[in-house]
Amino acid sequence: MSDVVVRCSGISRTYQEESVPVQALQDVDFEVCKGEFISLAGPSGSGKSTLLNIIGGLDRPDKGDVEVAGVKLNDLNESELSDLRLQKMGFVFQAYNLIPVLSARENVEFIMQLQGVSPAERASRATAVLEQLGVEGMADRRPGELSGGQQQRVAVARAIVTRPVLLLADEPSANLDSATTRELLEMLRTLNETHGVTIVAATHDPIVMSYARRQVNLRDGRIVEDKQNEAA
Amino acid sequence: MPFKLLLQLGWRNLFRHKRRNFMLLLAICVAVAGVVVMNSLIRGFQFDMQEAAVANLTGHVKMLAPGYLDDPNIEKSFTLVKDWQPHLPGVELEGWAPRIRIPAVIMSERETRGIQLVGIDPARENISFLDKVELAGDMLSDADDRRVVIGKELARQLETEVGRRLVIITQGIDGRNREAGFRIAGTFDADGKGLEKLFVFTGVTALQNLVDAEVITEVSIKVVSQLDESLAQQGLADSFLDLDVLSWQQLEPQAAAMFVFADSAIFIWFLVMMGALIFGLMNTLITAVMERIKEFGMLRAVGMRPRAVVVQVVVESTLIMLVGVVSGTLIGWLLVLWLSDGGIDLSAYAQGVELAGMRSVLMPRLLVEDLLLVSSLSLVFGILAALYPARRAVKINPLEALRR
Ligand SMILES: Nc1ncnc2c1ncn2[C@@H]1O[C@H](COP(=O)(O)OP(=O)(O)OP(=O)(O)O)[C@@H](O)[C@H]1O
Ligand SMILES: [Mg+2]
Repeated sequence: MSDVVVRCSGISRTYQEESVPVQALQDVDFEVCKGEFISLAGPSGSGKSTLLNIIGGLDRPDKGDVEVAGVKLNDLNESELSDLRLQKMGFVFQAYNLIPVLSARENVEFIMQLQGVSPAERASRATAVLEQLGVEGMADRRPGELSGGQQQRVAVARAIVTRPVLLLADEPSANLDSATTRELLEMLRTLNETHGVTIVAATHDPIVMSYARRQVNLRDGRIVEDKQNEAA
Repeated sequence: MPFKLLLQLGWRNLFRHKRRNFMLLLAICVAVAGVVVMNSLIRGFQFDMQEAAVANLTGHVKMLAPGYLDDPNIEKSFTLVKDWQPHLPGVELEGWAPRIRIPAVIMSERETRGIQLVGIDPARENISFLDKVELAGDMLSDADDRRVVIGKELARQLETEVGRRLVIITQGIDGRNREAGFRIAGTFDADGKGLEKLFVFTGVTALQNLVDAEVITEVSIKVVSQLDESLAQQGLADSFLDLDVLSWQQLEPQAAAMFVFADSAIFIWFLVMMGALIFGLMNTLITAVMERIKEFGMLRAVGMRPRAVVVQVVVESTLIMLVGVVSGTLIGWLLVLWLSDGGIDLSAYAQGVELAGMRSVLMPRLLVEDLLLVSSLSLVFGILAALYPARRAVKINPLEALRR
């Protein structure tokens, strides 16, 4: 029981797009256990991002309950949600979303700074993670001086350096070529297997699906398939 | 909240749009330097006016017989005990001077004029404008000196000069006119013709002999620190219950009103400059927020609290303001130094200048408290200007921002 990290029960989310309501999610039940590596798949508009955002506390369902790491998100206000995201979650976005005025190292240290981690601890953790992701040579460059793949690595480094309970990735490979995508996924797999980081990634990319150990397919806001990936 | 982090981000963001921020900084700089220079000129003018009012035989505090102001004549007089000294504990005096000051008529061989005849102890007049005038001939030697010192302009009008004799007619203590001849010891050149035409000085004892009374009509007192003015006034009023003890503001109400007006002028000028500036600052901040929607969205998404976003924008605004204010103050200060070298020559406008009670050379005066007030108020304006843009930033929904 205690190793359930995410529990969504009966969540629905409707967007009002120019007076036409769009049902992004309809009565979805979804659980994530500790140590899982899940891909959320499905056609465009099927609700992958919506589900991911609701789990991440960035969006709220119209109906249903969401629980992350034992905390019910429905009851939290904006600041509490911010704190939960800060303390428990790591985010990797499609556009890497690094802070342009900070160097790679500073970007990696940024969230730890928000968390109030001591400078010495920050430095050693950042160094370790940058090394682990093979971008230690780029530590002093700003995002504008890095390639897309390098930026995404730094973004992943920033997301995992805080040792989140849950790593959420939305289309992490959308802007990467397949070789870089494989490198990124090898890295995520290592994180998942050796460090036990729980990962949920929304994706269109078959390569990402092939690396995940469980694949959840969505269509029109509903889960239509939930399978273990034996090959992974 | 990791304030240091926000500070660091804010500082780096300053250099993100170098040209835009440089233009804004330039505007703040010019405005602040303008305020500093203008302030120092107004202060210089204010100071001159007060100095002139005080030096104009007024002093900071003056004791007079009741009714003297309405009808100044020798009957409205009083006496001091022998070897009197002002006794004012806690007040540092620059000096004090007993005088007789009565209306009189002065005549040369050619002309006649109405003047104020002032009997002085020359050794005590370090507190009035007499101390600073340029003198042709001699000053009175002591209180017994029976000669006169008159203004250069009056000498010109009377068509007389040092060494010549003049006849003065004034009222004695018995109400009858006294007439006596005086030799001119010297002529003074004051900073303005008004004083030169008005005052004729002679020894106080000599004048007492002329009016047949060992009295004086006023004691003028000058303190070292302005803060002691009212203390001195109170102290004298307590020991001379039957005399009027008046401050320079009461004696020169026009100068006092101008003094207060100058205070507000400083404030109004500052508000006008800052008012214009604040919209430029706000505009820049809004632009900066709008073009960083994605970034703010990301910051919120990874767990930055809404309040930290507000602080972030305020910090950026305050930093720009701070840099602008510091450099503007520095430039303003240098300009004031440059202007202080010789001051601003207003002699071309001598008449108007004199009417306003100013000297012909305006010396800017930079007050530390003005600088502090300007800089701290500017920072407050910087924070105020940031509030609306910060509201915009905090309203950014991370989801919307990331969907872009
Ligand atoms: N903020 C929003 N406002 C209006 N409609 C929205 C909003 N967010 C999502 N939708 C709609 O909800 C549905 C689900 O969107 P969602 O982004 O979850 O799909 P997705 O599976 O992630 O698609 P994609 O593969 O294109 O990323 C879509 O029809 C989308 O247009
Ligand atoms: Mg999506």
